[in-house]
Amino acid sequence: MFPAAFDYLPAHSVDEALAALLKHGADARILAGGQSLIPAMRFRLARPTVLVDINPIAGLAYLREENGALLMGAGARDFAVEVAPFIKERYHLIFDAAAVVADPIVRQSGTIVGSLCHNDPAGDWGVVALAARAEVVVRGNAGTRVVPIDDFLIDSFTTAVGEGEMALEARFPTPNERTSGSYQKIERKVGDFATAAAGVQLTLSADGTIAAAGVAIGAAGPTAKRVVEAEKILLGARPSIAVLRAAAAEAKEISDPIADTRGDIEFKREMAGVLVYRGLLATLKRLQQGELH
Amino acid sequence: MTLIGTSVARPDARDKVTGAARYPADLVRPGMAHAKAIFAHRTHARIVRIDSTRARALPGVLAVLTAADVPYNRYGLISSDQEVLCSERVRYVGDRVALVVATNADVAAAGAALVEIEYEDLPAVTDPLAALLPGAPLVHPDLATNLLLHQPIRKGDVERGFAEADVILEGTFTTSWQEHAYLQPDAAVAYYEGDTLVVETAGQWLHEDRRQLAAIVGVSEDALIVRYAKIGGAFGGREDLSVQTLAALATWKLKRPTVLVWNREEAIVGHHKRHPFHITTRWGAKRDGTIIAVETRSVADGGAYASTSIEVLKCAAIFAHGPYRVPNVATDAYVTYTNNVPSGAFRGFGTPQAHWAAESMITRIANALEIDPIDIRRKNLYREGDTEATRSVLPPGVSALPVLERCAAEARARFEPRPPADSSSTKRRGLGIASGIKNVGYSFGYPDQSTATVELIGSARIERAVVRIGVADVGQGVSLILRQIVAEKLELPLRSVAIVHEDSAQAPNGGSASASRLTFMAGRAVHAAAAAAQANFNARTGTSATVQFRPKPTTAIDRITGEGDPNYCYGYVAQAVEVEVDITTGLTQVLRIISVHDVGRAINRQQVEGQIEGCLAQAVGYALTENFVSREGAILTPHFSTYLLPTTLDMPTEIYPIIMELADPQGPYGARGMSEMPLVPFAPAVAAAIYDATGAWVNDLPMTPERILDAIDAARERLTTAAAAAVP
Repeated sequence: MFPAAFDYLPAHSVDEALAALLKHGADARILAGGQSLIPAMRFRLARPTVLVDINPIAGLAYLREENGALLMGAGARDFAVEVAPFIKERYHLIFDAAAVVADPIVRQSGTIVGSLCHNDPAGDWGVVALAARAEVVVRGNAGTRVVPIDDFLIDSFTTAVGEGEMALEARFPTPNERTSGSYQKIERKVGDFATAAAGVQLTLSADGTIAAAGVAIGAAGPTAKRVVEAEKILLGARPSIAVLRAAAAEAKEISDPIADTRGDIEFKREMAGVLVYRGLLATLKRLQQGELH
Repeated sequence: MTLIGTSVARPDARDKVTGAARYPADLVRPGMAHAKAIFAHRTHARIVRIDSTRARALPGVLAVLTAADVPYNRYGLISSDQEVLCSERVRYVGDRVALVVATNADVAAAGAALVEIEYEDLPAVTDPLAALLPGAPLVHPDLATNLLLHQPIRKGDVERGFAEADVILEGTFTTSWQEHAYLQPDAAVAYYEGDTLVVETAGQWLHEDRRQLAAIVGVSEDALIVRYAKIGGAFGGREDLSVQTLAALATWKLKRPTVLVWNREEAIVGHHKRHPFHITTRWGAKRDGTIIAVETRSVADGGAYASTSIEVLKCAAIFAHGPYRVPNVATDAYVTYTNNVPSGAFRGFGTPQAHWAAESMITRIANALEIDPIDIRRKNLYREGDTEATRSVLPPGVSALPVLERCAAEARARFEPRPPADSSSTKRRGLGIASGIKNVGYSFGYPDQSTATVELIGSARIERAVVRIGVADVGQGVSLILRQIVAEKLELPLRSVAIVHEDSAQAPNGGSASASRLTFMAGRAVHAAAAAAQANFNARTGTSATVQFRPKPTTAIDRITGEGDPNYCYGYVAQAVEVEVDITTGLTQVLRIISVHDVGRAINRQQVEGQIEGCLAQAVGYALTENFVSREGAILTPHFSTYLLPTTLDMPTEIYPIIMELADPQGPYGARGMSEMPLVPFAPAVAAAIYDATGAWVNDLPMTPERILDAIDAARERLTTAAAAAVP
């Protein structure tokens, strides 16, 4: 189907984009990669009357490390993350996810910040951002806010970005050398919505116990979910099969998926646990932990 | 011989890649009226009242047509049991009730929303087994039964066979609907050229479409032309008419050009699907692996209208025991009406469903007897001169065994020995093999024919030729194949042979693009016409010859015993696959496919390989991902976001299409049809590989991750129970 009619406004600066958003209010949407928005418009699930295109804005597609964080500009594409050597080397969780977002064609256009703002229940980047404890920089007329990801993801297709505001940047804390992570997803075919997904990031202390833990699951409720109880179990624990299983069981516990052609509720909840377990195992393997018992 | 077997490039390839090719929806011209069909979206209901007053009042609405506007409101490929617009009763969600014609598409859609239709819901039957029970709601009350056909087949004495068997296994299998998912959803334009009504569309058989359309609008067949634009795939899905009837009706009624284009959801809800089957089967074998008895009961869901159900059912029935020589056979196949989406033709035409059960069973018998699955096939496959279950001798050219041997050799050469299972991994690999058989051409006494005209032009010698034959190039490339055959016969360069094939008034009836029949049938027709024209070539007057080709006649099969001579040609296939199963998530990846086909002669090798690879994508979908869900008649998967087609990225990187050329005695240059064959045994080959990997058999198609996990759980339980029972 064709989208409903809309006006197209190319913005050449952030201020220009913000002015357009302020003027058109809730009727306006930002066009970045368009990989979620355009299909939604074609199904007429979204009917913005104005599209503010931020692609013409110079200097928005950056990926750089600064002040202990990886900064991804609103124009940064999935593909850029997938092929950046420094991300592959240090940001294991992010690298894993970048390689499995949708399909290669979508990754050429889709943006990380755009995906966070779209906040699809089955989206990948919300899960990654929760596990990595990311923040999102939001700018509006009243100034700039830095919103922790837990406060940013509000509900399906709803975020902390208010009317007249736009998300400018996502910030992921730079992992130290005792930190690693893993992203696990199952899908019925390449590019399908996730059947289940999990993101995990762990930091080990010098004595081998877990000093920091981030665990999140996707396609398991209205929005990506932090598995708080799993993080509690992991924090301070010495990694073992029993600890991993206990953490994974918490993911299954809070998973609240919908039944669809990708699987029934019982299957998807089971998979949430399986994927958290796999993610933890893969992370510890990357941290060169010996055989777990 | 230079052209036969050469991979001549497709003349339509560039236009299709660049977007220059014109499919039916590209034929819309300014000023055409746009039609919008109103679907019932009811499983079974009586139409109480249709009020189109408000729709007609909408500016731009030209007409709202209902059953009363249709001169002859019946159509269908075999029996005319479908109405163009429903008069009193709707039988499934995709039934069309009214047609809004307007000056543009938006107004047509707005008008459709204003048509008020009052229904009285009727009791519905959506389970084919329930449809056969006494007291079930009747889909067509005038028929007094939901049973479309019961086809028994009896050969030998099945009870004596089982009494002599050393091993007897039983299995129950199900398959689901499959959607054709052709690239271009159903679309048609209709207009007048003088007094002649022209319908431009995509289809599979020009002259049959013309017959049905002319009857609907009440004109002679001479007064109606069907033309095919580029056809974005068909796969059997365009054998039944859909939008053509409505575009023709609107143009005939309003005397102005009309276009009707369905979107994907309308196409999925509106046209027929592959038949779901419920199959219970019992196999008996001797200790050495000889199959001596097979008893099968299968029930197919025909949906709301007959379509080609009875022919699909008979094909499934004659292959209930696969491609094997079985002395004692008892088959009872049933197809019923239900209030589900109609079932009809789809690549394989009943044989993938039959093989799903048969090929799974023979591997299980092999396992039970601890015989290699290749050896048991080698022992039982049809040989030249063997008798079918219908008690007729197989058409000559039986190559089932050499095809299997080649497949086994290729598998040995290309599949590495399985790596030892890594206990820390949840991934398990397995290999599977399966054989298949499928008829080429129309069966069961249908007077199959193909008619072609070849015109020769030249001064002293033949300089060029024009081939006229009405055939659908659905994407398989038949127009190039036929030119290659004529050019070869006349010793002309390919560029000197033109073809006119897409206009029912400009070319004789070449027959349907179905049953893998056009290379064989139309190939023989154009070859014979070229030969006849060549023999009478006269440079002064020009020469034209028209020839009708008829293959060896077939006969109907008996309604009680199944006795008869059903087919004139078979295609043979064997496949080996390697899969990887994640035993924790159930996700299964096909890693390698070897698909061996005896095509008699590959007229164009590249096209044959293209058919194999494309068909395998459809087969991967049928086996694993395409889960068409219908609940109480409502279709829950009407989009590609819910009905999951495999894409390039889901296909294995290693596909080996192996072409064997054991000449068919009747085919042109020995060629026989092949385009359905890769779908025939593929799903059971995958099931056998999953069993090899996990020890679990899946009985239901598609093999979704959940079903695979359930099967693994059940297999574990059986092992545990067996172990417990072994404890004294």
